[in-house]
Amino acid sequence: MKNLIALFTMGLVLPAAAMAADYAQSPTLDAAVENDTLPPVAERLPQVPEVIEPYESIGQYGGVIRRALAGSNDHNNILRIVGPQGLTRWNADWTEPLPNVAEGWEVEDEGRSFVFRLRPGMRWSDGHPFTADDILFNVEDLMLNPDFGPVPSRYVIAGEPMSVEKIDDLTVRFTFAAPFGSFPAELASPRGQHPVLHPKHYCSQFHGGYVENINALLQQEGVSDWPTLFQNKCGDIEIPARWGNAEKPTLDPWVIAEPYTGGATRVVLERNPYFWQVDTAGNQLPYIDRVENIVLRDVQAVILEAIAGRIDLQARHIDNPADRPVLAENREAGGYDFYETYATGGTLLLLQPNLTHKDPELNEVFNQKDFRVALSLGMDRQAVIDIALLGQGEPWQYGPYEGSPLYHERMATQFLDYDPARANELLDGLGYTERDAEGYRLLPSGRRLSFQVDVIPVLFAEAVDMLELISAQWQELGVEMQINSLERSFFFERVSSNWDHDWAVWPAAMGWQQGTLLQEMVPIWMGARYGIGWWHWFQSNGANGVEPPDHVKRRFELNEASRAAVTFEEYRAAVHEMADIAAEQFEIIGTSTDLPRYGIVSTRLRNVPLSMPASFDYPTPAPTLPQQYYFAE
Amino acid sequence: MLLTYIIKRILWTIPFLFAVSIVAFALIQAPPGDYLTTFAATLAQSGDMVDQERLEALRTRYGLDQPFIVQYWKWISGVLVGDFGISFEWQQPVSNLIWERMALSLCLAVSTLLFTWAVAFPIGIYSAVRKYSIGDYLITTLGFLGLAMPNFLLALVLMYIGVVYFGADVGGLFSPEYQTAPWSWPKFVDLLKHIWIPVVILGTSSSAALIRIMRANLLDELNKPYVTTARAKGLSEFRLLLKYPVRLALNPFVSTIGWAFPQLISGAVITAFVLSLPTAGPLLLQALLAQDMYLAGAFILLLCTLTVVGMLVSDILLALLDPRIRYR
Repeated sequence: MKNLIALFTMGLVLPAAAMAADYAQSPTLDAAVENDTLPPVAERLPQVPEVIEPYESIGQYGGVIRRALAGSNDHNNILRIVGPQGLTRWNADWTEPLPNVAEGWEVEDEGRSFVFRLRPGMRWSDGHPFTADDILFNVEDLMLNPDFGPVPSRYVIAGEPMSVEKIDDLTVRFTFAAPFGSFPAELASPRGQHPVLHPKHYCSQFHGGYVENINALLQQEGVSDWPTLFQNKCGDIEIPARWGNAEKPTLDPWVIAEPYTGGATRVVLERNPYFWQVDTAGNQLPYIDRVENIVLRDVQAVILEAIAGRIDLQARHIDNPADRPVLAENREAGGYDFYETYATGGTLLLLQPNLTHKDPELNEVFNQKDFRVALSLGMDRQAVIDIALLGQGEPWQYGPYEGSPLYHERMATQFLDYDPARANELLDGLGYTERDAEGYRLLPSGRRLSFQVDVIPVLFAEAVDMLELISAQWQELGVEMQINSLERSFFFERVSSNWDHDWAVWPAAMGWQQGTLLQEMVPIWMGARYGIGWWHWFQSNGANGVEPPDHVKRRFELNEASRAAVTFEEYRAAVHEMADIAAEQFEIIGTSTDLPRYGIVSTRLRNVPLSMPASFDYPTPAPTLPQQYYFAE
Repeated sequence: MLLTYIIKRILWTIPFLFAVSIVAFALIQAPPGDYLTTFAATLAQSGDMVDQERLEALRTRYGLDQPFIVQYWKWISGVLVGDFGISFEWQQPVSNLIWERMALSLCLAVSTLLFTWAVAFPIGIYSAVRKYSIGDYLITTLGFLGLAMPNFLLALVLMYIGVVYFGADVGGLFSPEYQTAPWSWPKFVDLLKHIWIPVVILGTSSSAALIRIMRANLLDELNKPYVTTARAKGLSEFRLLLKYPVRLALNPFVSTIGWAFPQLISGAVITAFVLSLPTAGPLLLQALLAQDMYLAGAFILLLCTLTVVGMLVSDILLALLDPRIRYR
């Protein structure tokens, strides 16, 4: 009914005030509206707000969501509840990008340009209008401004950064040098929020190009350059300072009231009175008044808070399978229940040989496909799963799971059978038939066929257990794998900044959705530990690193093609061609599907789906729209 | 005499602090990688990622690609004029972050020290005078328990009991309503209501140690002939005890000031971590883990200064207390 009325009003072009009666607001804002410190709700909302269909039921206003942050560096935990309010967002199933801050978009010129329409009358959280000028400020004055920093790689296509033009106050066109069909998907990622991150009217006062006497301001603030000042005041994607300034207007459902700074023991967000979404009954979202995040240093303290019933919604820091029993035991006393988060693909533990190894002999060994196949066949995955993972998980190489439209059978399931006889045959066939006194095979130079696998033991508890079992199984093949436990930054120094490792392991729960990095198939990121040398070559345009073979270069092209794809079918085709090559090469070895994970949710909290994808690219639980969660009486 | 001694000691602290600053800075730089490596690693660990180009640009902006000596000079020349640099992690000037936390740390350390003394002094005397009594055994047992149990474990156990059996909020130093409030009388009272928990937790092990020291020192003195003589002359037992043997046994109490400050502040790190106290320890630990070097450097420099000041105070007090030191 409300929708009908809205349609009519639009059709008759009645003044916005006529709609005032149709929208409801939180009672906490009534007083402010009555004494004229806040305009009425209809004037705060866009002329046509986005209508959100609640997950189960229309909610009621009020309440506080209590959560916990673990120390510093947990800024993305705030992002996960507030949501990356970019031009687009992912749907709850993580299958297609939807309009978000933008009202909609059109693709032009076969995916070379995108015209985004904004919502008339939409406002920042301080009431200032949100227009095309804000987008131009973000793109031209920040993203494309070399003084501020390099252009983020997701806005670079065919070596050219994107350009932007203002068509009118509410319409902008982004143009690329080549087709970039994944653009709307990239914008839905937490790392794609750049075009609408900063309000021009507020943040331009810290911008070197806008402030006349910037040096006086820098001196006063005690920083050396304006980009530092800008990040201090307005923050940036992926730094804590993003939540460190309560004065910065945003487009988020809740805005910072008590900021996340170095000394903070609590971070509080309060409702944005100008938030631009309503439910199907015309109630302005969010339903919930406040989000209170207590900052705890110790992860055990987070669990203690949870079982004491002082946490309403949390997955991060407590989703370790080992913590589940204690949480389950105190479920009733703590007044919470579990919700499931699931990976859409990938493997819990990915073993990656360094195919760009600096030692010529090991390089040759690792680069033989039969060697890698032998190791995969010589791994008794079911035993590893039964012992180290308590039977959770299934043998799996990597890639999306069966339900996904991107599922690639060969990639996921080849060489999974445990066949030590065949594995030994393959190794014999490679000529490593001599053995030493302990039964290990010898290389032609006379040294033992032995390598180290680099692992960060604190990253997840099961990794070392799994590796120990695998190491014992490979010993049966006459291959020695030594486990090399490393401190975190040393690991990165060795296996990402450089390629000094023999093998390395890392969790790789990837479902290949548009906008995610397909690094297990193509070395375009630091997680591609089978080809870090190739990655360095790729990102330095051939200046550093190791030149990759043709099949890798072909995958670089296909990766570009996947980004260019306008339709899902084109995307799938490019990705699957890449997967065909990667499956043929069989560079890396998977173990088990990802473990089922969980979060806890207060039994009073409604409209929370009990199952949702788990990923930072998604990012959980933001696309399920926490602004439409509410507390039942 | 005493004055020249103090001045000399103060002058000596200058080259000492300079050396400390170099060592501190070198140690912070010693682990492989830098702040940005750690930043990327932390994000990758939680499934998040950061652009490589951005890392490189930040590395240049922060001057992390420069040689050690250049970075050190940039830092120390700023510190000399009161500019501690910027915290990479928080994008804030370091001076905004440290002072309140250092003040709370100092407050916690002083409270704990006073608590330790208040407990150890009478109990130490009692257990020496009533040697091998039931009370002595009881105190000794408790003392060894306190000494043996790590503070953080005690904190965790107390927290668990507090949460599970009393539903209490045991973390932090302030109630929620005072966390961001400006300083006021009610806020101070609120602080007192919370601070006793960490004080007791931190105080147990150092009290236990001091009780043992007090007891041992006093036992040495109690058997000396002058005590027997005084007693024979009819001096009241209480006056005799406090005026002579206790005074001599007090030296270790005073010298504790010197090492108690740094120990309480650095030793409190894990306890403060567990209890989520807004003191310097957790921020220092995080700064070290994140290789946020200017923040960590400022903390370490301040802690060293505190140690030096603590040593100085304890030396002066010792000189005042013990004529043997004064006239040497």
